[in-house]
Amino acid sequence: MFTRNWKHLCRRYSQAVTFRTSEIYPAQHNENQIGLFYTIKPDLCKQLFNHGGLPKSFMKQTKTFTETAIMVRQPALDIMDCIRASDMNKPVIRYVLYGEKGSGKSLTLAHLLHYALEEGYLILHVPWVSEWLRRTPRHKEMTNSQTKEGFVDLPLDAAEWLLHFKTQNQALLKNCELKISKDYEWSKREKTEAGSPIAALVEHGINRVKYACDVIDALLLEIKILSNSKQCKTFVAIDGFNSFYYPMTRLNTPTKKKIKPEEVTLTNSFLELTKNDWNNGVVVLTIDQLAVPDENQESFLPRYLLYKKGFEHLDPFVPIEVGRYTDKEFLSCANYYRDRLWLRGPSDLETELKFTSASNPYNFMLQCAPL
Amino acid sequence: MSILIKRSKSGCFNSACNVKLWRLNSTSADSALKKGEEEEEFRVLDILKKRDKMQRRVVKRTDVQPDRIDRMATNQNWGNVWPGPKTFHPSSVPLPIRQGYVPKGQAPPGKKANAELMKIPNFLHLTPPVIKSQCEALKQFCTEWPNLLNSEESIEKHYPLEIISSDYCHASPSIRNPLARVVILRVQLADLKLDKHATDKFKRLVGDRYDPKTDLVTITADRCPTKVQNLDYVNYLLTACYHESWNFEDWEKEKTEDDMEYYDWDNNASKRSLIDWYLRVKNELKIMNDEEYKAFDISQIENGAQYKASVSKYMNEGENPQTVQEYSIAVRKLFGLPQKKLV
Repeated sequence: MFTRNWKHLCRRYSQAVTFRTSEIYPAQHNENQIGLFYTIKPDLCKQLFNHGGLPKSFMKQTKTFTETAIMVRQPALDIMDCIRASDMNKPVIRYVLYGEKGSGKSLTLAHLLHYALEEGYLILHVPWVSEWLRRTPRHKEMTNSQTKEGFVDLPLDAAEWLLHFKTQNQALLKNCELKISKDYEWSKREKTEAGSPIAALVEHGINRVKYACDVIDALLLEIKILSNSKQCKTFVAIDGFNSFYYPMTRLNTPTKKKIKPEEVTLTNSFLELTKNDWNNGVVVLTIDQLAVPDENQESFLPRYLLYKKGFEHLDPFVPIEVGRYTDKEFLSCANYYRDRLWLRGPSDLETELKFTSASNPYNFMLQCAPL
Repeated sequence: MSILIKRSKSGCFNSACNVKLWRLNSTSADSALKKGEEEEEFRVLDILKKRDKMQRRVVKRTDVQPDRIDRMATNQNWGNVWPGPKTFHPSSVPLPIRQGYVPKGQAPPGKKANAELMKIPNFLHLTPPVIKSQCEALKQFCTEWPNLLNSEESIEKHYPLEIISSDYCHASPSIRNPLARVVILRVQLADLKLDKHATDKFKRLVGDRYDPKTDLVTITADRCPTKVQNLDYVNYLLTACYHESWNFEDWEKEKTEDDMEYYDWDNNASKRSLIDWYLRVKNELKIMNDEEYKAFDISQIENGAQYKASVSKYMNEGENPQTVQEYSIAVRKLFGLPQKKLV
């Protein structure tokens, strides 16, 4: 027993230097750590990604590996550098992550979320826009908006997001400095008064699901105002942003009318948020081919996926490509899999896998699974 | 028919025998016969025409002239022997030419009585000395080559219109080739005097006949049967397109930004968002109308020009990794962000 553990430890130690970094604070990451894995603490992970945020297949893998290890990659470092270099008093800068399917856009976003959390940003994170607009479970809750004529509410999704928001920003919401600027009257008896903390607003949205969409609208507006007045700095992360600009959603009204994305209240709230008419914030968006149907996945570049309207909405933005693994990254990843006993076999297996997966992170992960 | 003839022949034979027999028997009749011959009282109908058979005509062979080639001097002027295009004639051509199907183990048929040689057009009238002498004769009508047209560029500059057609020469009974009628007209778009609107309209009119890479407009005509007609037709087409592109129709005013053939940054949302961003940075945001946006001078915005160029290229050239990269560089410069580090 002892010898086995000893061997295990030795093996761990011999490889640990090559693919792991002990630096667990994303803000401290730099070029020296490119390609190395760092581990997010489980409680942090739970706080950030409990309600989504990591891709499903990756979640499965983290369960298998009993740790959430994310590779430090160039695009994330790039954005961190840019955030540090940018002037927060200027209008928010929109960063758009783009890349092939499975190249790690969502994980880069996860890395950045961790960074934002450590840096004390207020996080507004939409895990997957298509969840709202394109996924249609049997009982999708959908009502006509009470406040906006001709719009559609998704109250359950909205409440879920509020919960997500609440979990992610527990610490910030606890201290009651963030106060709302005006009265919100929801009904005759319910109203949120000016000066109450935004946590109250969120609570109201979660408890009274009926008003969740209106709450989000108000919340985002308030956060913009708060950011402008330097009371908080805000980190907006939206995964699969191009879903907002795909001409059609999969939603139908009870009268079988097809709904366009711009007819959903949530869309409008978040599109307002991604305008650059506020400051003291960062907006990171990912655009993904997977967020649109198969027939519109010809290219992964921004103009194609965002359409003219979306491009004009975001322009000027900073496009950042998340590419395939470089040689170093690939090797490090293979070592990591070997360490987790996920990949076994002769050492020239890597060469072959590199060829068959074309260094695409997702494909590599997929192909290692049965090995 | 043949049977009839045979009968009559046998009948005749019998009658002749009878006559002889009758003659031997009668002397008086014999004398009378003599008398008749002298006096020719009756003409005898000679049915079989045995008497004066036509003499066979003896075919007189005319004297065969010796071949002309045998009488040719070696230093003769060939141009006089064969002055113009004509069908091959063996006795005029002092060359041991052979042409035609080659039987096994034999030489190809010689030039005499050889139809193969007559079928094909020949160029015996265009020997180099003849051409030379003809050129000499034509020289007096030629003018001098202009001195200034000494290079390809100057020729292109002064004669921008290029007409391309082909002549064909081949071994078949007809010297016509249907492809010879095709006429191609080529002209550089820059050589045509067109303004911005007219250029756009001209491009739309000619469609894919315009190649943006080389700036050449190529008009091909092959619908008329002859080359001259096609030449007239291409000239007509060019003229018509040119004048039509200068026309400004009423409905052209309805052209919107979506109909534009290229991305004009100044008219697009990109300029508006850049200006809005700039004014927000300076905290001078104001509501402007379209004219003000168009009139706004972006040279006061640092790195604005590069941003403009990159967006225009992004839109005009189409989206590819290269243009996205350039856009990224321009935007980072605009925002004052560090450039992407190369790993």
